Amino acid sequence: MEKDVLNKISAKFEVEGKIQKKQRIWIKVNKEDLIDLCRFVKEIGFEHLSAISVTDWLKDGEYEVTYHLWSYKDKILLTLKTRIDRDDQNINSVVPIWGENAQIHEREMHEMFGVEFEGNNDLSPLFLEDWEGPPPFRKDFDWGKYVREKYYNKKNERENIYFEEV
Amino acid sequence: MEMESISENEYELFFGPAHPGSGNFSVRLKVDGERIVSARADPGYLHRGFEKLMEYRIPIQNAVLSDRICVLEPLNWNLVHAEAVDELMSIEIPERAKYIRVIMAELSRIQSHIIWYGVVSMGTGFDTGFKIAFGYRDYILDLFEMITGGRVYPAGYICPGGVRRDLPEGAEEKILKVLEKMEEMLEFEKMENPFHLDRMKDVGVLELKDAIRLGATGPVLRASGMKTDVRKDEPYEVYDKLDFEVPVRKEGDAYARYWIGLEEIQQSINIVKQALNNLPDGDFIAKEFKKPKLAIKIPEGEVYVRNEVARGEAGIYMASDGGTKPYRVKIRGPSFLHMIPVLEHLLKGAEIADVPAIYWSLNVCPADLDR
Repeated sequence: MEKDVLNKISAKFEVEGKIQKKQRIWIKVNKEDLIDLCRFVKEIGFEHLSAISVTDWLKDGEYEVTYHLWSYKDKILLTLKTRIDRDDQNINSVVPIWGENAQIHEREMHEMFGVEFEGNNDLSPLFLEDWEGPPPFRKDFDWGKYVREKYYNKKNERENIYFEEV
Repeated sequence: MEMESISENEYELFFGPAHPGSGNFSVRLKVDGERIVSARADPGYLHRGFEKLMEYRIPIQNAVLSDRICVLEPLNWNLVHAEAVDELMSIEIPERAKYIRVIMAELSRIQSHIIWYGVVSMGTGFDTGFKIAFGYRDYILDLFEMITGGRVYPAGYICPGGVRRDLPEGAEEKILKVLEKMEEMLEFEKMENPFHLDRMKDVGVLELKDAIRLGATGPVLRASGMKTDVRKDEPYEVYDKLDFEVPVRKEGDAYARYWIGLEEIQQSINIVKQALNNLPDGDFIAKEFKKPKLAIKIPEGEVYVRNEVARGEAGIYMASDGGTKPYRVKIRGPSFLHMIPVLEHLLKGAEIADVPAIYWSLNVCPADLDR
């Protein structure tokens, strides 16, 4: 079953694929082929987008965007992986393919890693309010250091709003 | 955030974020008279950044952290995290540990579904149901206290390698007694109740094609007519050896979702009974983890683990670069989709009075949305 699916995909696209175990396929794809491949796999049954994730590979200077897709028909989890440059963090959005589901995942990843999804028209902040620092899930962002510098031994200015000084 | 006034009839309204009303979450509703024109979810009140925190900690610490992903079903999230680490490190789990994991996960699912019944009742004005549900849930919390040491948070009871300790003496009889109580509760829940009927029938109808597009999973998707369950589709632990059914309904309204919840309690009770019957002897934790070692290297690799938690599909993507801490952890909570795209879709065109019924019928948990 897994082999059939992988063959179907590699017949049409130049990809590096492996079957990790039963019900798990991992595929590496170029940034340029991503949208065509996504369209194709949705047609062959991968209609549930389980998650979109970004991994920050700092030493390679690249972001890896992963799409975890589930097929209700074949009962297989397919993961598409594509790498983008850390300095040129643009990638085409998959919203036209998976709709609102993809939209909200991309919005979160944009907030946490700063990846730009071209074609996604709503990338406004989701979780963080009044956040001015760099995207916080990047590997080169040190939470501990940020908190020490910004808040340690300092008065919280927001408290002025709530408490009057005696 | 500022509210804007649009015209005499149109105005903006907040649902939440007061804790008894909606949990730590709110929705901004644009309303025309009584009808909702559009809804926009406003999450983030519980954002703790677990995905990043886990990159700074070793698996044995992360097991404790994984409790907090969802307050209402910590043991299920323990299990997802433990399975991800097990798979990365290729640990062989003893058979007894697998059975204990399933028993604990199902007990956790039962109490979570009972809370679901409670909050649906609260949202629809049936306060008695809310109080009875929380009373009965305490029987299961007593079991958790006896087995894990914590009533609500088990502190990583299901940990990489197995479980932290064996079932104490007499636990099996006590679990069976509590299950009897749960059946008693189920009898009460299944009484047809005008509160639930009037407020939820034909309210918040989710069509199957919309449900798939919006990323709905678990009870929400099953109530719209899709027969799918991760426990059946890709059995983990010992679910392939247990006999249970997957309740499905076609209507897709709030009442169907509510009934799926009740039927799943019955299935979970059956699963726990079977697992207790077949519980083998042996170790409760793999030998690598018998003595806790702090710096265990996680081999290089990546996995994506899916589980069926009470709210739907839970997923953890974990990548390791060969260090002692995971390089990247991505947590996929079912409420992330249920509370943003699905809720926004269902609220559009609904009436203000139906908001609590729609909201609570999705079995939401702001904690696993924000993470």
